Amino acid sequence: MAHEDEGERTAEPSDGTVVRAVLQGDVEQYAVLVRRYRDRYARYATRVLGSVDAAEDAVQDALIRAFDQLAQCREPENFAGWFFLILRNRCFAERRRDRRIDDIETVPEPQAPEVSQTRLEQVERSRALQRALLHLTPEQREVFVLKHVEELSYDEIAARVGTGVPALKMRMHRAYDRLRDLLQETR
Amino acid sequence: MKRGAVWVGLVVLVTSNLVAQGDPRSRLAGRVPPAVAAAVSLLVDSAQARGLPAGPLVDKALEGVVKGVAPDRIVPAVRGVLQQLDAAATALRTAGGPRAGDDAVEAGAFALDAGLTAGDVGEIARAADRSYPTAVALQVAGLLAALGVPRPETVGLVRATIRSGRPLGDLVNLPSQVQAAMAGGSPPAAAAAGLERAAAAHQAPRPRAQGKGQGNPHKP
Amino acid sequence: MNETFDPQVKQVLDGERASSELPPSLRAEGEAARRLLAAVDRSEVALSPHLDTRVMAVVRRHAASPRYRAWRWLTAPSVPPWVVGALAAAAIALVLIRSVPDGAPVVAVPAPAAPESVYVKFVLFAADARRVALAGTFNRWDPATTPLTRAGAPGVWTVTVALPVGQHQYAFVVDGQQWIPDPAAPSIDDGFGRKNSVVSVSAGQGRIL
Repeated sequence: MAHEDEGERTAEPSDGTVVRAVLQGDVEQYAVLVRRYRDRYARYATRVLGSVDAAEDAVQDALIRAFDQLAQCREPENFAGWFFLILRNRCFAERRRDRRIDDIETVPEPQAPEVSQTRLEQVERSRALQRALLHLTPEQREVFVLKHVEELSYDEIAARVGTGVPALKMRMHRAYDRLRDLLQETR
Repeated sequence: MKRGAVWVGLVVLVTSNLVAQGDPRSRLAGRVPPAVAAAVSLLVDSAQARGLPAGPLVDKALEGVVKGVAPDRIVPAVRGVLQQLDAAATALRTAGGPRAGDDAVEAGAFALDAGLTAGDVGEIARAADRSYPTAVALQVAGLLAALGVPRPETVGLVRATIRSGRPLGDLVNLPSQVQAAMAGGSPPAAAAAGLERAAAAHQAPRPRAQGKGQGNPHKP
Repeated sequence: MNETFDPQVKQVLDGERASSELPPSLRAEGEAARRLLAAVDRSEVALSPHLDTRVMAVVRRHAASPRYRAWRWLTAPSVPPWVVGALAAAAIALVLIRSVPDGAPVVAVPAPAAPESVYVKFVLFAADARRVALAGTFNRWDPATTPLTRAGAPGVWTVTVALPVGQHQYAFVVDGQQWIPDPAAPSIDDGFGRKNSVVSVSAGQGRIL
């Protein structure tokens, strides 16, 4: 693919070039992939898991697992998509382990004294929504995060997670209704 | 498909590993004289007690029989292999680092057989550290020595190549590069010294860290 | 109470319909939906700066383990065709440069291989031989399992063998009794007063002499 040639001509190697170098024994090159992807899905992991700490653990574990399984990456140029699936599985495993994550340190408290009432209300609504998200099923929460936080289309989500668009829409619509319920209860 | 081949390969590796670990003596049955089999069996016990791989001992016994060597010369040769494995394991232990696997110990024994010293083995193991497989570094060193590269040039070339941070393939290709230079008329020592100078002068550039991706990370 | 959003409002939420297209009866619901989406927090998240160091420390440990190395040899991608071509050209050039009149020039030509083994071609020039075999650690030193066959050129014998990754010792056996090491390969003492040749193979690298 043209990708690889471009990567090798410029100073920055493509993901595929780096993956192949690591597989040939240049372990230190894996640090390039770690740098590239350590924060890329941090927001997704944080919203799905409900805390930055949990997200950090998940991303760290996923990066290590990706190294261990690197030989199974069938499309080295699409390391991003392959790594995302590993992280996704890790996030789902986390949710199964601990169903009662109440830590929602995801929306920092505004510190400035002159913060407006509007801003405070907005922060509180964001927190309320994040709390409510944690009461969805992991699959519902994920599709909501991918659609509305990561701003992917249904087609893009389908390509990422391997589920058909109709099923995704059904999950999402159930999520909308559940969120409406939860958020009305908090009023 | 590749995955099927991988699983077959894994089964073969695990199975052969189990067979090798479980009973390497089974390979002697029917192929070596009983007296030789008995003596080699004791040496295998000794190897296993010391945590050393026993496969090379059985290999050497089989080799001797096939080559028509007299039985009273086979057992000393097998004992020699055990001593080399022991010396290699000791050298690797002294070098520090994680406990050396069977492949590293066998590679160290090969390097000793090729003419390197225990000190050389330890030095190469320390140089390989965690960045390169110790077994491969020792195999390459043994091959260089077997080609006739003197000890100092062998160790120097392997260390310089490792320090240059080059891919593993570059290390693996050293023996054929030396051989090609020798084919052009270069003595082994000079061939190795030339490659060492090139390795020392040439540090592979590392790609710099890239900033965070722009826009949506999920979009290609 | 289980209030559900109207399907049209869900289309608004999905971004497939403008809220202005909602009928008046659904405007309030549409507003609730808008507030829901407005509450979504899209701020970026930065993880600990030490994450890289922690990950690489574990990665290096894993890379140093024998199990990882065995796994890598099993699953490493095979040699790309252009590498094979280049190695073959180098091997042939080597033979042309070194023709040993009293010995046996040997060409080692790595070939693309399945992930779990590497094919290596052995060649021996033995003009007067009636039969030639290969014996080594990879076939339990049994020459009967690996006979060479005559190639096109007179006096040239060849065989291609699938070798497991790792290091192997070998020699040629001529007419069932004469043990000849490979003149073009590194050799070591066999412990019996003779020499064995050594070949080292790893997945993705072909043969290294």
